[in-house]
Amino acid sequence: MSDLRIPIGIFFTLVGLVVGITGLAAAYRAPLEFANVNLYCGISMLVFGGVMLWLARRSS
Amino acid sequence: MTLAPVDYLILSLYFAFVLGIGWLVKRKVATSEDFLTSGRSVPVWITSLAFIAANLGAQEVIGMCASGAKYGIMTAHFYWIGAVPAMLFVGVFMMPFYYGSRARSVPEYLKLRFDEKTRALNAITFAVMTIFSSGISMYALGLLFELVLGWSFTASVLLSAAIVLVYTFLGGLTSAIYNEVLQFFLIVLGFAPLAMLAVYKAGGWPGMASRLPPVMTHTWSYVGDASQNPMGVEAFGLIAGLGFVLSFGYWCTDFLVIQRAMAANSMSAARRTPLIAAFPKMIMPFIVIVPGIAALALSHMALGYSIPAKAGGGLDYDQTLTTLMAQFYPSGMLGVGLTALMASFMSGMAGNVTAFNTVWTYDLYQGHINRHAPDSHYLWVGRVTTVVGVGLSIGTAYLASHFNNIMDFLQLVFGFVNAPLFATFLLGMFWVRATGHGAFSGLLAGTAAAAATHGLTLAENKGGWLGSVLHTFPSTMAQNFWIAIFAWSACFLVTILVSLASQPKPASELHNLVYGLTDIPHDAHLPWYKRPAPLAIIVIVALIALNLIFW
Repeated sequence: MSDLRIPIGIFFTLVGLVVGITGLAAAYRAPLEFANVNLYCGISMLVFGGVMLWLARRSS
Repeated sequence: MTLAPVDYLILSLYFAFVLGIGWLVKRKVATSEDFLTSGRSVPVWITSLAFIAANLGAQEVIGMCASGAKYGIMTAHFYWIGAVPAMLFVGVFMMPFYYGSRARSVPEYLKLRFDEKTRALNAITFAVMTIFSSGISMYALGLLFELVLGWSFTASVLLSAAIVLVYTFLGGLTSAIYNEVLQFFLIVLGFAPLAMLAVYKAGGWPGMASRLPPVMTHTWSYVGDASQNPMGVEAFGLIAGLGFVLSFGYWCTDFLVIQRAMAANSMSAARRTPLIAAFPKMIMPFIVIVPGIAALALSHMALGYSIPAKAGGGLDYDQTLTTLMAQFYPSGMLGVGLTALMASFMSGMAGNVTAFNTVWTYDLYQGHINRHAPDSHYLWVGRVTTVVGVGLSIGTAYLASHFNNIMDFLQLVFGFVNAPLFATFLLGMFWVRATGHGAFSGLLAGTAAAAATHGLTLAENKGGWLGSVLHTFPSTMAQNFWIAIFAWSACFLVTILVSLASQPKPASELHNLVYGLTDIPHDAHLPWYKRPAPLAIIVIVALIALNLIFW
């Protein structure tokens, strides 16, 4: 495998999308939740995954 | 706690990726060293994250959150004085000998430096210990998933073990290390939001401090006297027992973590591995301990949340983390949180399995059973050992579920064996005159001193089995710290005395093994951020700042 950042980047991009879309749909709520946890965490993971992929692309 | 389809989707994505990484790495495995030591080819950012992830098992994550709720921010001592200084020491001072000796394992270093019997003692106890600790953590995880999610104990134990087996079997150490990096990021991204949400809801740090007794939000203010803090420890026992003997004994000699640094692609990378790992390690208390403290504050706030009670009275602190997740994470992030818990379990187990198969193959099988086979044979033995190791761990998990007392007893005995180890390595690396007879008898004396200390003292009704009780400790934690101090001192003294009375190895056989006979790597031509000393100084400054902030 050439660069570990690629699978890690793809993984977090996918998980970020799944969690973020769940947040947009506002399908679930947790008892003490006071913000759209899924949406913000989804966006964060999407950004993290994107940065990993960008770093891998830049160094190749 | 009930999971939605989206949670299972995230969990399956994770399983697919860890198996996929194992599959991709498989092509790189041609020799036994590729399989068992990664052929010394891994970049430093990867070894550094694997270095802490291998230690970050599920028991660690769940246990640290529980301790946060039970003891408060004092728990951070296990990171700030109980890990980071030792990580700096192993990187700056000890790695030149481990990596420079070309040993393939920590017991093999002992063989090169001392003799065969010292290696055998260390290899056998280490091999048995890795199996038991992965079995015990598997048991803990199976129990938790059964309790929280209603999953069958057998199903969750077998499924998680099978996945670890497949990816370590395919790609060996490289696969374990690569997956540990994915697992590390998942643990951080899965648990950090929980910490932020819980702390915010509890009114931030000032809000938490106002709802809890002051001892819960200070690390050092209440350790002057053991009766003043819930851990029941005093400053000397804490610093000497935890900060010196136990911490250096683990981080500087345990092959589970050292193996990650030894897989690095150069001496410089091997030395920087624990130093770079020290940065995230310092921050970990905010992710794993602080949520536990916040949980205790939240349970004083009439929000309808409280830490669950135990059947026999008291609070079941081990459920702090999972109940907190259920309160703050909706399905979606709940899946990520549980996957992170699964990931921490797998990184810990894979760490144990890969360390076990290396020690078994090189130190016990090649060292004692079949010395002169072709390399392909040792590669085969390594793979078979991986399967056997996972099988034994599963057996141990079931043993733990039926005979809890045996597990407690074994953990106690392992503690006696481990406590003196650092004295042996310290003298071995920095005193040319130390001999194999000295090291071996020092280890035995240290273990005996540990057992004797336990037998002659009492804490929470534990110990005192030698008949007379000379001292009573306020807590078993304090007792453990003092057992370690006595064991280390006995090993140190006996190793010196026996070494002086026995024949030393000639200097020609100690090249690259001992200080004074080793070429210390010069790194003046490297930029500052690639040199061990400046990195260590930055860590020390940050460490002092953290201790002062939370004093």
